[in-house]
Amino acid sequence: MVLPSNLIGNLTPNELSFLTENEMITILPRYSMNKIDLIGTSIPKLRAMRREKVPLWVALILKSQSKCNIVPPDWLNHQYLKDKYDEEIRKANQFSALPFNWLEITKIFLDNASDDLQDSTDEIRSIIQDLKEIRLVKSRRGLKELNESNIQLNGLGMMEINEIRTFVIPVMNKLRQLHDTTVKEEEAESDEDEMSE
Amino acid sequence: MSYYDIDDIIADSQKIPCQFNITVPGLGYLEGNPGKSIKQNTKIELPFWLAEILAISTILNNDESFINLIDPDFISTKIINAIKSDSNSIDLHKIISHYYVSIEKWCKLFNDVELIENSMHLLKQRSFEINNFANNVNKSVGSDFIYTLDEFEKKLYKDSCESNKLMKKWLK
Repeated sequence: MVLPSNLIGNLTPNELSFLTENEMITILPRYSMNKIDLIGTSIPKLRAMRREKVPLWVALILKSQSKCNIVPPDWLNHQYLKDKYDEEIRKANQFSALPFNWLEITKIFLDNASDDLQDSTDEIRSIIQDLKEIRLVKSRRGLKELNESNIQLNGLGMMEINEIRTFVIPVMNKLRQLHDTTVKEEEAESDEDEMSE
Repeated sequence: MSYYDIDDIIADSQKIPCQFNITVPGLGYLEGNPGKSIKQNTKIELPFWLAEILAISTILNNDESFINLIDPDFISTKIINAIKSDSNSIDLHKIISHYYVSIEKWCKLFNDVELIENSMHLLKQRSFEINNFANNVNKSVGSDFIYTLDEFEKKLYKDSCESNKLMKKWLK
């Protein structure tokens, strides 16, 4: 009740970004460190210049102390994203396959580890912006087709789904309620028929 | 519909026109004649919650119900035709401030498929327009469209605006 109604059943972009920090990511440590056992995960023993997979939040802490380099994921470079962008243009009616949290990870990289990226930040920033916009245009177009029963979100990322959620859920709920007013009568009648037979 | 939903309560107390089928003693206060009876064929506006129960319950040993509901303004052919021609230019708030809830209640009684289809079409068209406006968070909205929203649409607009703002803030 205390939570504002628009936040009930919905996450803010900051919260999604926080959740994404649990993703595993490859780092290249510069120092050695013993294994740490935590309740949720355990951080493996780190040896200098030996690649290791750790949760993103650990990587960010080490990075901020300049104790490691983060290896960007395969898809986080200009060429790959450019290909995806071309694919988006080619296939006007579907979304290209990007990781579920591509927006969050890119943002975290751009903010905290931009020196680890192969391409310049500006290039990445602009291609991400382009990608985001073309996908947004597509999802907008999809909103025209809203109905009371289902919505298809194939290929959309977590952040993109969250972006349209506050709009889509009330509208679909309302459509369903309106739709149900007449359907239920019919069903009730047919139920009665069955009962009498 | 929640028990505590203030919009539902307001929609329930929305007055609709009805006509009494029989003379009821002692109900005169409904039309401002306390102590008198209400005559047969009197036309009077009753809140929806009262009209609904009087319209569906039948009198003992008689097929008739207490009152007949007369089609209220918000489902008149004039408005339905206006919806068909251009959904975005209708002033829903002026017609009835809780349009969708009222339609829902009305259609639960009368099972009016055509009316439901009409209002679903209306909602689809208008929600798309609302989404367009809600995306425009930086500039002030200079359109009258915002003032024509019904209560449900207003909330929708406010919430989508809020979420778009959060998104913009995060992207910075």
